[in-house]
Amino acid sequence: MNVLLALIAATCALSAGVAVGVAVAQRRRAARRIAELERANAGLERFCCVAAHDLAEPLRMVSGYLGLLERRHRGRLDADADRFIGAAVGGAERMRVLIEALRRDAGCGRAPAVTQVDCAATVAGTLSALEPALREAGAHVDVGRLPTVAADPGQLAQLFQNLIANAVKFRAPGREARVAVDAERTDGGWSFRVCDNGIGVAPGDADRIFTMYQRGKRSGEYAGTGIGLAVCRRIVERHGGRIWVEATPGGGSAFRFTLAAPL
Amino acid sequence: MSERSILLVEDNPGDVRLTREALREADVAVALTDLPDGEQALEYLRRAGTPDGAPRPDLILLDLNLPKRNGLEVLEEIKSDPALASTPVMMLTTSASARDVAGAYARGVNGYVVKPLDLDAFTALVQAINTFWFEVARLPPAAV
Repeated sequence: MNVLLALIAATCALSAGVAVGVAVAQRRRAARRIAELERANAGLERFCCVAAHDLAEPLRMVSGYLGLLERRHRGRLDADADRFIGAAVGGAERMRVLIEALRRDAGCGRAPAVTQVDCAATVAGTLSALEPALREAGAHVDVGRLPTVAADPGQLAQLFQNLIANAVKFRAPGREARVAVDAERTDGGWSFRVCDNGIGVAPGDADRIFTMYQRGKRSGEYAGTGIGLAVCRRIVERHGGRIWVEATPGGGSAFRFTLAAPL
Repeated sequence: MSERSILLVEDNPGDVRLTREALREADVAVALTDLPDGEQALEYLRRAGTPDGAPRPDLILLDLNLPKRNGLEVLEEIKSDPALASTPVMMLTTSASARDVAGAYARGVNGYVVKPLDLDAFTALVQAINTFWFEVARLPPAAV
């Protein structure tokens, strides 16, 4: 009888222990999932802000010039023309309300949550996240000395990830991809470079590749949607910096960006 | 009083034209000069008021995202040049980012406004800028 009780007690203790173990593993999984969702959500918010910003420029033109047409020419064309202009003005106005709501709901004017970020650790994390793609491409990445800067850590990680992933994606056929990441001190802060030996950016594309859904002429055969660099531009600008692209002597690209020293 | 002059530094030709038309809609008579990038703006301002330059503008409207030298760099140069520092500068930009607003005021901007998305609001804005800077505010005496 005592043996039976002891056996039951031991079984209970064991299953309780297993239950505790299962609960810990579940909590860890849940925490990982929450972190992933938070990252995805932050990425989605950035996407909304880029979309709202890039849609606002053409809307300002449509709305502004329609407004001029309405003010200066109403009643001077025929009744149909007045109705058409009225409908177009109404449409532009609804679009303005939508874009403003999108900006508000995605928190677009908010300043980034800035902390001290070690860029060397951020790039190391990026390289390990990109490891499968780097291995598949046989890419080699050289990382120079990188500073600690005041930035939003999640946004900085996405910036490096987009630039390095692009450098590998747009590699030249038949050439081993080589990427170099480094930084130098400037008057106002830091100037970073992500250089590659890939297909390069056509001279006329240097500005448009940073706009949403605009892709370079040479990007035709490579998969993509034209969002990555628009997000990069937004991240850099929200940190008070600038981003641009230069050609490298070997025909590749050097993506350069600045991060201002803290105010 | 001679006609007031504004220097508009803006790279988007659509925005330049819209600003001219909004001034016309608001019935504001000013001489508007426009330049498409930061480098040209600084060159123009350094020559302004000298015998081989144009008269110095009474007000500068400055975009943030400009080719060559961006708006904050241009602002910093203007405000650190004793000959130019007293000319009022207003940022007129699409960016509503808290960081850009803070950065502009930290560099001594005299006002920061976001480009409105419709013509009525834009016309009201240029009217307000004109009224404030040229009718209400006292400006430093014109440089000799």
